[in-house]
Amino acid sequence: MITTIRTKKTKSIVSMVSAVILLFSLGSCQDYLDVEPEDKLSGEQMYRNVFDADAAVVGIYGKFMGLAEKYVILNEMRADLMTTTRNSSPALKELSNHNVSIANPYISPKDFYVVIQNCNDALANFDMMLAKKRFTQSQYDQRYADVACLRSWVYLQLGIHFGSVPYITEPINNLEDVKNISKYPRLPFDQLLDKLVTFTESLTYKDIYDTQSSLRITVDGYDTMKFFINKECLLGDLQLWKGNYLSAASHYKNVMESTPTSGANSYDYYRVRIPDVVNNDDLAVGYRRDYETDATSLVDSNTKGWRSIFARDRDIMWNTEWIWSLPFDSDFAPANPFIAIFSKTAGDYLAKPSQSAMDRWNSNTSRFGYPYDARGPKFTYKMVGTDPVIMKYIYKFEAAADQFKREGDWFLYRAAKLHLRYAEAANRDNQQKVAFAVLNQGLKETYTIYNPDGTIPTDVTNIQQTKLGFPYDFDARQGDAPNYRAPWHRSVGVRGRARLISVGAIGDDVITTENNIINEAALELAYEGNRWEDLVRIARRRNDPSYLANKIYDKLSKEGNAEADNVKAKLMNPANWYLPFNW
Amino acid sequence: MTQLKFNYKRLFASVLMLAIISCSNPWDDRLDNGDENLTVNLKEAIESRPEGSEFAQLLEQTGYDKVLEQSKTFTVFVPTNEAINQVDDAILNDPASLIAFIRNHITFTTYSSIREKQEERIKMFTNKYVTFKGSTTIDEATIVSPDNYAKNGVFHIIDKALTPKLNIWQFIKSQAGASGISDYLLSLKEFNIYKSDSIGKAVSETNGAGYLSDSLTNSYLKNVYNLNNENNLYTVFLMQNDGYNAEVNKLKPYLIKTSNDPSKDSTAIYSKYFTLRDMAFAKEYELNELPATLTSRFGVQIPVDKTQIVQQVRLSNGIVYIMKKVDVDLGKRLVTTKIEGESITSFSPSNLRSRVLFRDRVDASGIFFNDIRVQNPGVSLFTLNYNAKDLFSTTYKVYWKAYNDRSVVVSQKLRVGGSNVFLNGVMQGVIKEFAYMNVPANSYEELYLGEFTLAKAGNIDLISLIAGTSSTSELTLDYLRFVPQTK
Repeated sequence: MITTIRTKKTKSIVSMVSAVILLFSLGSCQDYLDVEPEDKLSGEQMYRNVFDADAAVVGIYGKFMGLAEKYVILNEMRADLMTTTRNSSPALKELSNHNVSIANPYISPKDFYVVIQNCNDALANFDMMLAKKRFTQSQYDQRYADVACLRSWVYLQLGIHFGSVPYITEPINNLEDVKNISKYPRLPFDQLLDKLVTFTESLTYKDIYDTQSSLRITVDGYDTMKFFINKECLLGDLQLWKGNYLSAASHYKNVMESTPTSGANSYDYYRVRIPDVVNNDDLAVGYRRDYETDATSLVDSNTKGWRSIFARDRDIMWNTEWIWSLPFDSDFAPANPFIAIFSKTAGDYLAKPSQSAMDRWNSNTSRFGYPYDARGPKFTYKMVGTDPVIMKYIYKFEAAADQFKREGDWFLYRAAKLHLRYAEAANRDNQQKVAFAVLNQGLKETYTIYNPDGTIPTDVTNIQQTKLGFPYDFDARQGDAPNYRAPWHRSVGVRGRARLISVGAIGDDVITTENNIINEAALELAYEGNRWEDLVRIARRRNDPSYLANKIYDKLSKEGNAEADNVKAKLMNPANWYLPFNW
Repeated sequence: MTQLKFNYKRLFASVLMLAIISCSNPWDDRLDNGDENLTVNLKEAIESRPEGSEFAQLLEQTGYDKVLEQSKTFTVFVPTNEAINQVDDAILNDPASLIAFIRNHITFTTYSSIREKQEERIKMFTNKYVTFKGSTTIDEATIVSPDNYAKNGVFHIIDKALTPKLNIWQFIKSQAGASGISDYLLSLKEFNIYKSDSIGKAVSETNGAGYLSDSLTNSYLKNVYNLNNENNLYTVFLMQNDGYNAEVNKLKPYLIKTSNDPSKDSTAIYSKYFTLRDMAFAKEYELNELPATLTSRFGVQIPVDKTQIVQQVRLSNGIVYIMKKVDVDLGKRLVTTKIEGESITSFSPSNLRSRVLFRDRVDASGIFFNDIRVQNPGVSLFTLNYNAKDLFSTTYKVYWKAYNDRSVVVSQKLRVGGSNVFLNGVMQGVIKEFAYMNVPANSYEELYLGEFTLAKAGNIDLISLIAGTSSTSELTLDYLRFVPQTK
């Protein structure tokens, strides 16, 4: 190709073009270098509207469910109700013997920080969205509070298990930095609690998502309402840890007085309802009417009685008990980790009830003369062959009778736990009688002033109520002339629902009542991930390491563990309650 | 042009060079660790060992050399030539026995002499087990050259052949004609100790051997232990004839039975069965492990007198001790019959199930027990029925334990025997009806009722606990205890 160019003209064109390019490039230098990648979304692009925010919230809960196995194993295997089996891995045995090695996979706090990092990232972006007016103040408040509370919950767990941990509230670039003590100094548990209380109390929104919220929907057959953390319960727990008992009781009472979901009766909702002795359509330990001493008439069913708390569908009655529970479904990740842990026939049978726990149930007397608490040997665990198997988590799976239908739940908060925690706070706030009532046979019975012949007076106008101010105000009147059906008349107490005789007496001191409450939590809530937390909280509160150490000693010595004495000596030093912070 | 030619030459030379270099393929070489052992299979490896040449030849003779060429994983115990020479020619010359002999030296998977388990039972191709103890002992042989390996397994050279042993049942069969016990036990293929035994036998008969577990084909194997089972280990005492007969005669007065078939002496047959059912134990006891007394699965304590042992026979599924006699105290032999209150067979009126309560209770010392309670029956003479098996023809003392924790007075009576046949309003077949007795309130004491005598040994199909004549009469029972008395 032959081209003739007039050199002079070309030169002048070139210099003009260069000048123009230079001019443009100088002005647009910043934008020019800031190319948006075409295969990735930046935070701003991801958080465009409220539905993107919802997706972020749901995504965080998805990640959060990955903590289920660790939560149960750390809180139960380290405590006294659960122990190892012949199949347990050395890692589990280390936890049970309080002698962990660095390589133990259960003690890595990394998974917790993954969730925290997710929360921090979402919170920062929510702030950005609000600033850019991408959603309303109310939408912001609700989502921000939810994610913030979840983060506080995870931090509380970290504090319980690791003691001193870095408190990070901003998104960070490299998760490995969490371990870097110079970048993120570790906060002792006390200071962490202060931070958590201050931060969580400062949230403006403390209710569940309102009924208009796009997060209150039914998805894949599950109502999402009970998926999300209950903020008042969390605040109650934080204040209970902190020692602000009145504040804790107030938060709990707010939940106890919650407005029911549609279909549920407000007398039943989170109030530990009286047994239905006729049809056994209840959540109580029950037998056939009038023949309650026949052990074979025990209501042992996935749809009726106490066992159904863990096995029934998420129906109206389920909603009266459960405050926070996340479902595992075989159609979606993450997979249910509990069948492998607990089932002997379909899983690996890695954990079982300890002798100490079984003795605990068997030292109770039912009101029908059974020398045991049926919640233990009949429902919480069952003998499969000669082995005790923890059943709470596998009733649904066994009912489906299908290897591939591995449905189950992560049990996080329910009415019985709420009532026991409330009783714990009330007791420390010198309301032993209220605590006694909630723990034992309920408010109506405890606050009834009987006639001299032992009958209930016809006119209950002035009895069956606490006559105290918030949060200890209960009206449990039930009378026919004049007619009363007060809000609490159906509440029967945690032991009342389990059909057990009362423990303790009105007038017991704080310590006795507290011991009874924590013991009851072991019987009612075993293997739901509360025990270690309960032991640490009480031992810290009393400044008495032996409270915790003796419980663990009882478990280990009853199974003939040669290390029992050493472990007890070790746990007498509170520093040894906490796991090494490393991964 | 010359330049171009030169360039071709250079190109050709370098291609040739490359081809030569790449002849050795590093990718293939990664598998070659220079271990010659891994290039041969077990068959070739065994053949290459002069001390195992006889065994190698037997492998070839039986065709098992082909098996050891397969790419599965085996462990072979190779007896030395000297060991093979000591093996009975009868075995080596009989093709069937020879195959069994070879099969008893081979097993799947590799068993190294270095193992975590101190002792391990290994299932050989014969389906019989041999015990691998420590790192050098396999059954009664010693490993002289351990852990020789080839690409499909390991072999150990041993100084004694692992000739397959009989199992206990095969041993008993082999003693037929010489031992009274053997003859008797084999006769239980025909004779049914319990009626229900006949079902399994009949089904096995129609469908041929192997259709049902062989334990169902013989009353002893069904009701005591399946001594033909290679998977478990047993200890059996076999008495010589004199001691055996003496022991059987001791029991005869307690097992009086009339026979449907006059040619058969039922008393003798059952006396033998009740003598021999206590002679087998579900564990292998070495001579030095034998305790002073062993308890049979029927609750009889058997004294072990080692001085009476004539011979110890090691078998593939346990040990048989040939004894002069095993002298068992009659008092021990006549076991107490205990009937749990909750183990009812029926109740009447049978439509009142809701009145029958199966309770879980705890006694004064904190021991759990289950009992039965009939509460507010609404009818008089409420009755709970039981049965008892294998009673002796003797006098029984009767006790009960009943727990009354209700404010109601409980008065109840026990009737042993009976039927649904009435003659002039009188129930037939009643052996003994005890008087009404009160159950004291809140007492855990066992009470003595009295005694009854059985003329014939056997089962009692109806034992009834009967409430009082009022419609509020209740019943309660933890257990009944029938204690046989020696004559």
